[in-house]
This record gives sequence, structure tokens and C-alpha cells, in this order.
Amino acid sequence: MLEHLVGFSRALHDAGLTVNPGNLLDLCQCFEHIDITRRDDFHAAARATLVSRHEDILRFDAVFARFWEAPESIVIRKHKEGNEESEDQDEPTPGARLLLPSDEGVDENPRNQPLKLAYSADEALARHDLGTLADTDIERAQRLIREVVKALANKRGRRHVARRHGHRPDLRRLLRSRSYYTADGICALPFKARRINKTRLVLLCDVSGSMQRYSTFLIEFMFALRRELSDLEVAVFSTQLTVITDLLKRKGVAASLRQVADKVHDWAGGTDIGGSLRQFNEQHAPRMLNGRTAVILLSDGWDRGDANRMREEMARLRQRARKLLWLNPLLGTPGYQPLTQGMQCALPFLDYFLPAHNVQSLSQLARTLRDIGA
Amino acid sequence: MTATPASRHFQSIDEVQSRFAERGYVADRMLATTMFLATSLGKPVFLEGEPGVGKTEIAKVMAEVLGAELIRLQCYEGLDSSAALYEWNYTRQMLELRLQEARSVQREQIGRNLFAEEFLLQRPLLKAIRSGSTVPPVLLIDEVDRSDEEFEAFLLEVLSDFQITIPEIGTLRAERPPLVVLTSNRTREVHDALKRRCLYYWIDYPSFEKEVKILRTRLPQVELRLAGQVCRFMELLRQQEFYKKPGIAETIDWARALLALGLTELDTEATNATLGCILKYKGDIEKLRQLGLDGIVTMALMPGHDPSAAPAAFG
Repeated sequence: MLEHLVGFSRALHDAGLTVNPGNLLDLCQCFEHIDITRRDDFHAAARATLVSRHEDILRFDAVFARFWEAPESIVIRKHKEGNEESEDQDEPTPGARLLLPSDEGVDENPRNQPLKLAYSADEALARHDLGTLADTDIERAQRLIREVVKALANKRGRRHVARRHGHRPDLRRLLRSRSYYTADGICALPFKARRINKTRLVLLCDVSGSMQRYSTFLIEFMFALRRELSDLEVAVFSTQLTVITDLLKRKGVAASLRQVADKVHDWAGGTDIGGSLRQFNEQHAPRMLNGRTAVILLSDGWDRGDANRMREEMARLRQRARKLLWLNPLLGTPGYQPLTQGMQCALPFLDYFLPAHNVQSLSQLARTLRDIGA
Repeated sequence: MTATPASRHFQSIDEVQSRFAERGYVADRMLATTMFLATSLGKPVFLEGEPGVGKTEIAKVMAEVLGAELIRLQCYEGLDSSAALYEWNYTRQMLELRLQEARSVQREQIGRNLFAEEFLLQRPLLKAIRSGSTVPPVLLIDEVDRSDEEFEAFLLEVLSDFQITIPEIGTLRAERPPLVVLTSNRTREVHDALKRRCLYYWIDYPSFEKEVKILRTRLPQVELRLAGQVCRFMELLRQQEFYKKPGIAETIDWARALLALGLTELDTEATNATLGCILKYKGDIEKLRQLGLDGIVTMALMPGHDPSAAPAAFG
């Protein structure tokens, strides 16, 4: 039995599910309590002890079914291939079924193309009436950006730290302090206050062709953030992603940055948000993201990349970041609907979807962030 | 990590299933096995699933079945040790000081006993560990995904040894480890280390048959015909993308509402009037209206899906 179990854990490992030895021991302990000749009970016990994530269940069940059918006769390598196949089929709809298969976005066949283009035409029209940020507004915009950043950056935590002055007396410290007992009830009162958690901000800017008209605004936004926030990472993307945090640190680079932005526009015909996000998730996310990171995506959502990949990468980003905001310059346009394929993929994963096309929208952003205490 | 199992509460998996059923909770074999193992091995259970699929209910039923006290800790962001674990009762401490003064206790002795267990306010975790009853309590740590990482790390410590250290007193150990049930709505990923210490169980939306059974158990006055239509409607809804999909709690609420309206058969008008029981967001309701409520109601009414056609399956 033990041999089989070890073989099974190896098969799981080959399928990308690593089993912790402690959990394998737990499973062995289960055998004292259940009748392992009953396959469904054994399956339940194995799943309860060896799996710890919902995403793994499908794969686990597949490996389980194959392995315990005929453990010896199967070459373990085959599991891997077999499972990746089945994973590809099952993965897009874990636990959820869609009524209309064409909605799913799985099939990228030409049949769907005309539909997509029709939507795009609508959006192009809507975009036409849009006013951009006037240069005279920049100063006001900067003030607002500062507010936005303040709301983002100085989040009061719920945990308390000791303070010499404040509003809430720290009774625990008071009762433990010596002076309380020796000074006949007259002594300095210790206080406590809610700790400030500095939010780390990661800004991902779309600088593809369709975003060109907002480039003045984008650059101002990035610089203002840079000034206000010490813990900021900035990356720009079109078809690929470039981290420009270091570039922003230097002074007087507005002009050169403009050049960079122009250059990016030039070599990017289209936008591949999914691909850029994957690049971010793979190369930069482990370093930049933690439980205190808010990620702001600034893009109009015009995406020419693979919808599935985009959805996948948005999900990954969502799990790692504390808050995920999408600022869309188009959202301020009357009658705008987030119909582009890119926006459709992204929406379910966003905490906030906000307009960012002019000064008013920025003040709204500041208000929203204050309300939620982002 | 492996606390000694206090006692064997159940003899078999079947017993778990039948005793859950007595309390009106329809548990499939897999869930029953997981709960059985949790009591047998003395390991915490980690229940994950969409909101409204009955995660919290499991802990409640479990407590009822075992005749144990249910101690609940609702998690939220910023939950800290003074809310989860213990707090000193400052008012009593100060009164004690005044009393000691009044009793003219010697100056050096004043305040000596202030940090003893009698001045401790027990919060859920400490309460679960210090519970003096013969049946260990069921500790429900609800929506653990809402708490922050610091709290998770702290839970890890408590759950691995079932002991709590209070600097002023020392280490308090559980005589009989409680049965711990953690739930998560998966608004964020809970750390692997915590999950690994638990038995993991994913609760999915129920199958059509199971949902009918649950509904009929919870609301016996619902006719099989209406129950089938209601559950079929819910099943169709869950195939759509909503911001918040309706769970079983919504199904039961809705059926109750339909009963109150005196309906025996689903119709569009009544559905439209009671949509608030099913979908809780304006956007979702609008989306459903766009999809065509009429069509979904008609589909739910299709005789092919009428469970009364095959009554044997539902006992």
C-alpha cells in the first residue's frame, strides 16, 4: 500500500501537484478510520489531505482516476501529457458553465471577428467626442493627483502601535507601568494609535497607439505619483512591457520620457495586454507585489491579444495584489460601454473601474479612494 | 500539528451522513468523509466555496450533532489579538486597585495580582481552548480570507499546537482540542501553510437533484413540482456570469417568498417581483432582465426538467 501511495504522490508531482510529505502521512493516518476498499471514501480522504487549492481538484481527480485504475501499467510520464490535455479542455470554466458557448471567448475563430469589429466601430465613434486634458489644467491636475496618492498611500491600519500622544489611551501599558502605582494616580497617560500602512503602488501604463492622445496626461500622472510616493513602480506596455521606474527617478527627464513614449508608440502597432501582463507576472510580480500593493492599470482596454491569456493573467494579478484598479480614459465618454474584448476579460477581476480622462474624473478618483480607504 | 483526537464522535461515515440529515443538512458522501476524518484525526477543516453554498451551516450543524458549543470568530481585515484572543478587563483591574487601597493593602502588594486569569476577557480563540466542558467545542473561524496575513500567521501557531501564550500569565494549553472549521469565500488566496494543516474541502454549487433535496428538507411545504422549477431556474442562472451568483441560501429564501405569495407554479410576473431574493446587485438584476427573464422561466418550466417525472430519485 505504501509503495502505491508513494507512486501516487509521484504521479501527482509529475502532473504539477506537489504533495507535502506531512500530508501524505495524514492520509496514512486516515486509513485507521476509513474503509480503504471503498474507492469513493479513499478518494475523499486523499482529496481532503493532499489537495489544498480549488484549481488543483480537476487535475487531482484525473490523476487519481488514472493511477488507481492500474497503477503499474501506466508509465508515469504519460500522466503528465494526458493531464495537460484534459486541463486545457477543462480549465477555462472551472466550476462554472456558460449557457452560450460562443460567449466564452475560447474559440478565436473568424466567425467571431465581425461582431467584435462592430463593437469597435461604436467605440471609435464614442471616442471621437472626447476632450483631452488641456495644458492649463495641469496644475490643478497635479494637486488632485497628490490627493489621490495621499488617499492611496496613507492607509490607517487596524492594528495599534504605542504612541506618546494621541486620542486613545493605552490602558494595558498604563496598568503595567510602574508610575501608575507609585504616583498616586497622577502620571503620564500612554496612548496608542492605528498604524499607518504605506501602500505600495504599481502603475501599469498602456502607451499603445490608441492611448497616444492621453500621453500628456499619462506623463504628468506618472511624475506626480513619483514625487509623492517613495514606493512606486512604473511600467509601460504596448506589445511588451518595460519597467521605467529608474528612468523616472532622474530629474528633468520629462522631455526624454516623452521621446521614449513616442518611440513606444511608433513601434507598437497594436496592444497585447495579456502578453504584457504575463511578462509582468512572470518577471516582475514576485518582486513588486505583496499584500500591500495596489496595482493601477491605465489603459483604454483596446486589446489585440489573446482573450484567454488576458483573463488568465488578470486572475493571477488579482490574487497577488491587494487592490486592482483600472483607469480608463474612455469611461468618461457619455454612452461608453466597456465592450472591447480586453475590458470584458478584465472587468470581473477589478476592484475599481474608474474614469481618467480629465480633471473632474481625477477628483472623483480621489473621492472614491478616500471612501474606500483603499 | 497532530493533536490527539479527543474521542471518536462518530462510528462511521454513514453515521455522519444520517445525523447531518436529521438536522436537515444534506451532505454527500465526500463531505461526510471529510467531516468524519476531521473528528477522527483531530484536524481542522478548511471549507472553501462561493458565498451561500452552506459553509457556515456545516459548522453549526456539526456543533448541534456533537452536542458541542459553537464558538464563532468572524474574521475581518485588521482583526487583532485583542478581538480574537483575549483582552484585559481594565475596568475590573482599576476597581481592584481601588479596593486594595481601601482595604489598605501594603503598598508593595498593590497591583500584584492584576494580571491573573480572573481579569482576562476571553475572546473566541482563547474561549475555545479554555473550554471546560467535556465535549470539546466547535470553533468556527468564518471567512478567514477577510483577515490579513498577520492574523493568518497567528492562526497557524494556534492551530498547530492548540496553545496560546499570554506574556503576563504563560502558556495556556487546550485540554481537549476543539474541532476547528475554517471557511473562505476565496476573495483572496489563503496561505498554503495554513491550508496544509487542514483537511481541504471545496463546496460546489449543488447538483440539481441535490438542491431539490436540500430545498425539500429545509422547506417541506414546497411541492416537488415548484421545488423542481425553482432549482432548475437557479441552475440556469448560475450558468450565467453574474457579479454574485445566487447560492443555496438564495434558493431557500426565494422559495419561501414564492410560498408566501401562494404560488404553486413559477411564472414570469412573480419571478420578476421576487428577483430581490435571488440577485442582490442592481447590475445583476438588469443583466438578467436583458437576458430575457421570460425565456429562462420558460426553460425552467419545461417538463423535461420536472423532477416529479422521476420521483423515485428523491425518496
